[in-house]
Amino acid sequence: MTKDELLKQINTIFINTLDNEDVIVNETTTANDVEEWDSLTHIQLVVAIEKHFKIRFTSKEIQSWDNVGVMLECIQKKGI
Amino acid sequence: MIFKLGNKFEERFIITDEIYNGFIDVFKDKNPLHTNNQFALDKGFKGQVMHGNILNGFLSYFIGECLPIKGVIIHSQEIQFKNAVYLNDELYFNAEITGIYDSVNTIEFKYNFKNKDVKIVAKGKIQIGLLI
Repeated sequence: MTKDELLKQINTIFINTLDNEDVIVNETTTANDVEEWDSLTHIQLVVAIEKHFKIRFTSKEIQSWDNVGVMLECIQKKGI
Repeated sequence: MIFKLGNKFEERFIITDEIYNGFIDVFKDKNPLHTNNQFALDKGFKGQVMHGNILNGFLSYFIGECLPIKGVIIHSQEIQFKNAVYLNDELYFNAEITGIYDSVNTIEFKYNFKNKDVKIVAKGKIQIGLLI
């Protein structure tokens, strides 16, 4: 999957998880840029991403996610 | 991880007078469907219908008291009410772990409550966090 396609799917996951149709994320987006992206929502996002792509992360991988771009790279490393 | 995918849990609950009256006392929901037998009969029920959210209290008890660890917190829960529950009904609660997300110490359950006639009266999902 290309990074653009992956970003599109991730954006949909953000919209559904945050219950906000106006959310648009890009590779530089951080939790500080999205009002609803708090610590609990972060857990919901991780669970939603793991379910959607049928992958599993480690806690170490998640801690390295400084922005959506790093998140995408981590997902791609799992063969998506 | 103390929990395994597919782990199953069972509990039995009874909606007693104490629970029913306690719920009304605390939350003040005295809607006639719950408090007036004739009103409930006129609406097609067998009698006054118990508040569906009493079942959420049982869910809280299950998560807080029935799991093998106490360090747990509910992230989210969904409930669908399928059939009416009446005073003194015995409810059989079944839950199964359907998802384990180690990276975020999170577990998901699906659950249902059945009555004595083995009819599902409510079902849903709960996501909890493990406070490790």
